[in-house]
Order: sequence, then structure tokens, then C-alpha cells
Amino acid sequence: MTRTITGLMLAVMLAPIVLVVWMSFTPQAYFVLPFTEFSLRWYREALSYPGFIDGFALSAELAALAGATAVICAFLAAYGLTRYPLPGKAALLAFFTSPLLVPAVVFGIAMLQFVNRIGLYNRLIGLVLAHVVVVTPYAIRTLHTALAAVPEEMEWAAMALGAPRLRMLARITVPLCAHGLITAFLFCFLLSFSEVTMTIFMTGPALQTLPIRIYSYMSDRIDPMVAAVSSLVVLVSLLVVCALTLAGGLRRVLR
Amino acid sequence: MSRMRLRGMGFVAPLLVVMAFAYVWPLWQATLNSLHPNTPQGIDAASWTLANFARLSDPLYTDVLLRTLRISLTVSAITALLVYPVALRLARTAPRWQPWIILAFVSPFLVNTVVKSFGWSLLLRGNGLVNSALEAVHLIDRPLHLMLNETGIIIALVPGHFMFVLLPLWSAVAGIDPALNWAAGTLGARRWQVFRHVILPITWPALVTGLVINFIMNMTAFAAPAILGGARTLVVSVLAYQVNLQQLDWPFGSAIAVALLAFTLALVGFGQKLAVWRR
Repeated sequence: MTRTITGLMLAVMLAPIVLVVWMSFTPQAYFVLPFTEFSLRWYREALSYPGFIDGFALSAELAALAGATAVICAFLAAYGLTRYPLPGKAALLAFFTSPLLVPAVVFGIAMLQFVNRIGLYNRLIGLVLAHVVVVTPYAIRTLHTALAAVPEEMEWAAMALGAPRLRMLARITVPLCAHGLITAFLFCFLLSFSEVTMTIFMTGPALQTLPIRIYSYMSDRIDPMVAAVSSLVVLVSLLVVCALTLAGGLRRVLR
Repeated sequence: MSRMRLRGMGFVAPLLVVMAFAYVWPLWQATLNSLHPNTPQGIDAASWTLANFARLSDPLYTDVLLRTLRISLTVSAITALLVYPVALRLARTAPRWQPWIILAFVSPFLVNTVVKSFGWSLLLRGNGLVNSALEAVHLIDRPLHLMLNETGIIIALVPGHFMFVLLPLWSAVAGIDPALNWAAGTLGARRWQVFRHVILPITWPALVTGLVINFIMNMTAFAAPAILGGARTLVVSVLAYQVNLQQLDWPFGSAIAVALLAFTLALVGFGQKLAVWRR
């Protein structure tokens, strides 16, 4: 019985995604099943639709910037937290992971009003900062664990041999937790790449990420081009997730 | 010692600054905005009022809140029923397959909600795949109304937020000493009794923690209700979108945000109490 329920649940979770990919190969202008001829017509159309190209470029850029910023800041913070006698360590860690508890809608509303007030509305930097906040909890948790697992004796040895702390960080610590850094970055990238709820509240007309482009296109009309561009999104997500799994990291980030 | 602290703070500082600037300040600003009246010229920062919060008790809005609570609770309840069989099954799969099973269960979460909701709309429409299939096997004569109502939102949210309960529960189930099951078995416990007296008490904290996150995610989902709920099935997040981006009433918009945040934190606090609760 448990096997049946597990199988059904998996099927239900994958069904909408599989159907979107399947539908994207229809030669027709509307969604009818079954169709016997497969065509790449809607992929050609999607790839020549400027809104989707721009949206894709923006989403990728945003995810890369937000992921990199979050991972660098979180790495430094986690290093400080694991290596120095700081007061209120637990409180700091709890603060850095607390955005998990703030609903995306709430943070989106706050961000909308904030970026308008300080003049960052419709600017990439505002969007990047907001995404950094959203992905930071995952980055800090992954890197805190990764750094705690790096033997401090190695760092002491390097410094005893005369390496300045920053060189020691670059030559010893970073390589030793490269695994954690890569997993954290990939996960943050993916999270930012697929963020919808917060972004839709705060973003300006010049900064429509791909999911939001798809959303506004859908409120206008629905044709298989939506399915084609969605399939490309699924493909990107799947590639990154597979990289994450091969790096053995999915479980680590999601503990 | 204090020099060590100072150096340590130097490492923590960049993240602390980013978080203070882009996280604490916006939330604080929204809280302030919720206490000012809205005027045609914009937010009147000179005067203070609680009118924005009083407006939340209008039946117009309490209806939306009740609907959102009803949907979220239904989704969490269905999830609680389905998650044990899945977690128990997964804990029994061979370790070499586990990363790939995690992949299968987690990857839908990492595909954006617009794409998934679009997929659900293709499945649930009047002439969608589900209705066509049911009609083809003569189970129904006319299409079921599976979307543009609460049903559609619930169908999409159950799998959409399943992972938040499954992952903590899976860890908890995997951590159970198999000898306990065996011991209960030798004492003559039936499978249901083993579940009731061994598995449930041990995994209770993980279940509650997961369900609280699940419930919050249900309360504040945006794309699924916007795409599958239609205009008549208004939920809190879509209402907040209309107030903030269409009516541009930011003081009332932030009152919604503040109320939602307070509710969320209260729920998390309640969840922490419930997680350690013992009969």
C-alpha cells in the first residue's frame, strides 16, 4: 500500500511538468491530445520572442549575481561564526536563517515599498538584494556545516608556517569546503531562478524575470509557446538539480 | 580577546550589513507605513492611525481570509494523511537510490510555480486531460469543475508543498532504531499499533514542524491561486497583490503584510509548543 501511495504521489508531483513538456512539441496552435506529429515549431517561436529571451537573460544574470553575493557573504559570516569567539552566535545564525519564516508575499510587499522609497525601483541592484535575502538561509546553513567540518588544525598549520590569514583562507579553507560552496551556489542559483511570489510584487516593468514574463504572457493568451518556454525552464532547472545531486548536495542543503 | 571578537565581527559584517539594509529596514518600513493613512498624494507620514488594521475586519476581507485558511488547512490535512506512507516507504529504499528519489521529490519544488500551475491548468481544464480521460472511460457525462475554484488550488498545492513535510519526516523515520519496530512486533503489536505507539510519537516533532511550514506556504502561495483559482476565488496573497499594485494603497497593503507576518510568527511559536507536546 505504501508503495502505491508513493508511486501515485510521485506521479502527481511530476504530472504537470511532464504534461507541459509533452504539449510543447505539438504542431497545432492549441492544446489537444493526442497528437501524432511532433514539431519544434513552438520552440522556434519562443526563441524568437524578445520578451522570453530578455526574461531568460535577466533571470540567469539575477540568479548568478544573487547566488554569488549570498554565497560569498554567507561564507565569510559562517567563517566568523565557526572560528571566532563571537557573542550571540546562536542569535546571529537564527537571524540569518529567519527569512525562511517570512512569507514571500510579506517580503515582496515590504520590498516594493522600500525600493520605491529609496529610489531603487526598477533597478537590478534592488532585485539582487531582495533575492540575496531570500536565498541566504540556505547558503548560511550549508556553509556553516561545511566550515565546521574543515579541521581547524590545517588552518593553524598554514598560519604557523607564516601564511597570512587571507592567503590561508584562499589556499586551505576554500578548497577544503569547495563542495559546500558549489552546492550552496547551485541551490541559491536555482532558488532565485525560480522565485516568483516575492519578485512579482517588487519588480519594475523593465525587470521582468522569465517566470514573470510567462505569467503576464499567460494572462493575455495561452498557446503552446508558453509550454515551449516553460519546458526550457524545466530543462535548465533539471540540469542544475542533476549537477547538485551528482555533487551529493541536495540532501545537505535541505536538511 | 576583544581583538579576536573584532576580527570575527569583520567576517560577519558584510552579511549583517546586507541583511540589515535589505531585510530589516524594508520590513520595518512596511510596519511604519501600515500605521499611516493613505491620501491621494501618497502616504501621509505625519499622522498615525490604526485604521488600516481596522479595515481588515471588513467582511469583504475576512471572507478572503477564511477562504485562504480553509484551503490551507485542507491542503495540510491531505498532506498529513499522505506523507507517512511515502516517508515510511522511502526510508526503506536502498541507500544508493535515495539521492535520486530525493531528486524526484524535490525537483518539482525547484521548477517555478508559474510553470507548474500552467501544467495543472492543462490537466484540470474543462476539456483538459483529466476530464477527457474520465469521459473516455465513461466515468462522467459532463466535465467536472476542477479549476477556477478552491478544488483547483488544493490539487496544485498538495504536491507543490509536499516536500516541506516529507523531508523532515523522512529524516525522522530514517532515524528510528529498527529494533523498536521489532520489539513492538515481538510484544504482539499490530502494524497500526506500532505506528500509533512507536512511529507517531517519535516523528511527531518533525511532522508538526513540517506541517507548520507547509501551512504557511499554503497561506501565501501566489501563482497557483492566481492561475487556478480564477477571479471569484480570491485568496490573501492575490488580494495583497491587488491592493499594493493595482489600487496602490500601500498603507493598507502593508497592514495586510504585517498582519500576515504576525500570524505566521504566532503559528511558528505555536508549532514549537505543539512539537514538544506530550500526551
